[in-house]
Amino acid sequence: MDEMDEIISDFLIETTELIEELSQKFVELESNRDNQALVNDIFRSVHTIKGASGFLGFTQMVQLTHITESVLKKIKDGDIFLAPNIMDVILESIDMVKVLLEHIKQKDEVEEDLTDILGKLQGVYDGAGASGEGAKSAKQASATPEPSVKDDNEELNTEIDLEDLQSRFAPKDEDHDSQEPSEESSPKHVGELLVEDGKVSEDDVEDALTIQSMIKESIDTGDVPKVGEILTATDKASREDVKKVLAKQTAPADKGQPQQVEQTIRVDVERLDNVLNLVGELVLARNRLMKLVANLEIKYADTADVSHLSELTAFINLITTDLQLAVMKTRMQPVKKVFNKFPRMVRDLARTMKKEVELRLVGEETELDKSIIEEVGDPLVHLIRNAADHGIELPDVREDAGKPRYGTVILSAYQEGNNIVLSIEDDGKGIDVDKLKEKIIERELASHDEVERMSNKEVLDYIFLPGFSMAKQVTDVSGRGVGMDVVKTNITKLNGAISIETEVGRGTRFLLRLPLTLAIIQALMVGVANEVFAVPLSSVVETVRLDKKDIKTIRGQETVFLRDEVVPVYRLANKFYIDSSSSNGTEKVYMVVIVVNEKKFGMMVDKLYGQEEVVIKSIEGFANSSDGIAGATITGDGKVVLIIDPTVIFSATLQGHK
Amino acid sequence: MAYDKNMKILVVDDFSTMRRIVKNILKQLGFDKIEEAEDGEQAFTKLKNGAFDFLVTDWNMPNVSGLELLKRVRSDAKLKSMPVLMVTAEAEKEQVVEAVKAGVNNYVIKPFTADVLKEKIEKIFEKMVKK
Repeated sequence: MDEMDEIISDFLIETTELIEELSQKFVELESNRDNQALVNDIFRSVHTIKGASGFLGFTQMVQLTHITESVLKKIKDGDIFLAPNIMDVILESIDMVKVLLEHIKQKDEVEEDLTDILGKLQGVYDGAGASGEGAKSAKQASATPEPSVKDDNEELNTEIDLEDLQSRFAPKDEDHDSQEPSEESSPKHVGELLVEDGKVSEDDVEDALTIQSMIKESIDTGDVPKVGEILTATDKASREDVKKVLAKQTAPADKGQPQQVEQTIRVDVERLDNVLNLVGELVLARNRLMKLVANLEIKYADTADVSHLSELTAFINLITTDLQLAVMKTRMQPVKKVFNKFPRMVRDLARTMKKEVELRLVGEETELDKSIIEEVGDPLVHLIRNAADHGIELPDVREDAGKPRYGTVILSAYQEGNNIVLSIEDDGKGIDVDKLKEKIIERELASHDEVERMSNKEVLDYIFLPGFSMAKQVTDVSGRGVGMDVVKTNITKLNGAISIETEVGRGTRFLLRLPLTLAIIQALMVGVANEVFAVPLSSVVETVRLDKKDIKTIRGQETVFLRDEVVPVYRLANKFYIDSSSSNGTEKVYMVVIVVNEKKFGMMVDKLYGQEEVVIKSIEGFANSSDGIAGATITGDGKVVLIIDPTVIFSATLQGHK
Repeated sequence: MAYDKNMKILVVDDFSTMRRIVKNILKQLGFDKIEEAEDGEQAFTKLKNGAFDFLVTDWNMPNVSGLELLKRVRSDAKLKSMPVLMVTAEAEKEQVVEAVKAGVNNYVIKPFTADVLKEKIEKIFEKMVKK
């Protein structure tokens, strides 16, 4: 990769980040129009993108950001009121920036047709799109583009901006002419003040101006000495006087908040992945080492070398664990990264559906592994859309129900033990479980009797079945029957779980429980015949030793009565077609109790080996995890072991085809 | 102080791509002692602690802007004669007056080529020699 490519890829990363932040800020801005700091931030971001694009030769990007920037400047200066329709245009232009970024990324050299969006922005700029902001047009009219000396800085701004805009479509490589007004306004200030202070005479200033204009003619760049400089050079005024005057002129600048400087470097994700992979290998090697040392300790208990080795191994164990944590931390990113795009999405949704929806974000600083952050975006989009579309009612309906006109969707993230919980909560109409039951029967997914026996939770779980949609009417936004099953599959793929809480008339809450990291998990090692399997500890509740006679068959299903609870039992051996003692009549068997979707299952195995930290390695050519295998790992004694995916195994049984 | 390819330059911009671009152009011109800062605050700390010969700063930055940085430099006993080149965008050109008042040595409008930058730097240092 040569230097230029690197710069462009930097530009892409950085600009994409800026744009993400921008979308969030725009929505914030709409609800808080007076936030000058916010407008400034937005203005600066667009400005920055334009600046860098200019260097990199992205002409279309420059065109677009230039006019967007001009519009933002007017908003900043209070010349344009930020009405929703104007916000729409600006957001559209930001969307176009994204499209252009994509072209740059793809290097496809495709030019977008910007006429429409540029026209709209121009319209806003000219005030056509704005609702009669008459007061402002007067200001514009007074600012004739005549390069006379202006004292009023604001007027000057407007004027140059207009000029700026006029030259927007014209090539503007060397338009130094337009700097003239500012160049000329500078001497007048300094000169005037010096005269006022009685330091120089008006004639002196006049002379200085003449000298200056002479110099200006002789060089063609903007580098003209200041009147102050000329006055000092010609000994008409002392440097001190000029400085004093200059100091007087300079308005006390706003003191920026001294902010703690964050020392960061950018690292390619590939490199981090590589480090993580290596740490994974190291963890595996450590596990083996510990096992070997344990064996040695038994064999040569009193040897000094062995005890030193064991000390050292303990130390290595400690370091490896710390290293693993540290590496995992480098991959952690705040969920803000995904959350940021939602305010914009909800805003757009609400506008199309004529609803009033407020999205509140809580716990945006909560951190998750990068790969999980990336995967969790789509499911969240779905759930939030659903909340806004099906959950929140129309304003009038809400009012009739005694609720505020605007609905609230709360998206929050928090850590709970080794999990991160994401919750999507709306105060809408909730899910009517009875109606859901009718639908289940109607679709012949379960018989009337079966449905009657189900708990509300079990009924709600049907929402996650493929092709099952709750929406009565298919809207543009959601309800086409694709979605919730995909959401569930995606969350499950991440070793996560999803659950629903709902109350009719009060709202619905979806809870996503996600692991902190994907690569390394705690697992329970179990044995079936001669095979060893790893079961993710996160889904294991307990292990029980059973007498075979405790297993009762109820309607063809083996079950165990476990502390007042009926738990269905499955044999791991059957699942993987292994001959094992547990299926062949030994008296005592082990059962691992697993929870999937808050439902308990018993999994019968022959042996329990204990807990081990395993590094998940994906199996090449085995992308589909529908067989209930999450991956493979290498154990401490060097064996390759399959990792079981209980969610897949038992959700298959949940749906009745085992 | 003479114009010297070995001079230590501080490039200040909040957008790292821009810093890279400016750095790249400076390198094309033969400078390699280049350091970066991402805003005025950080830049000022670096300037105080390191012997820099030349400051190239962006105007529009969060926290401490380029102009504010310039003012701080000019009012610091040790740094006040530091040559400063301000990188500005078109939209800011009307504000250049302010920078000139605050004592900027020169300014350059984005986007610029290596030649333009070279010319600007040469001018700054020619003038300094004259003084």
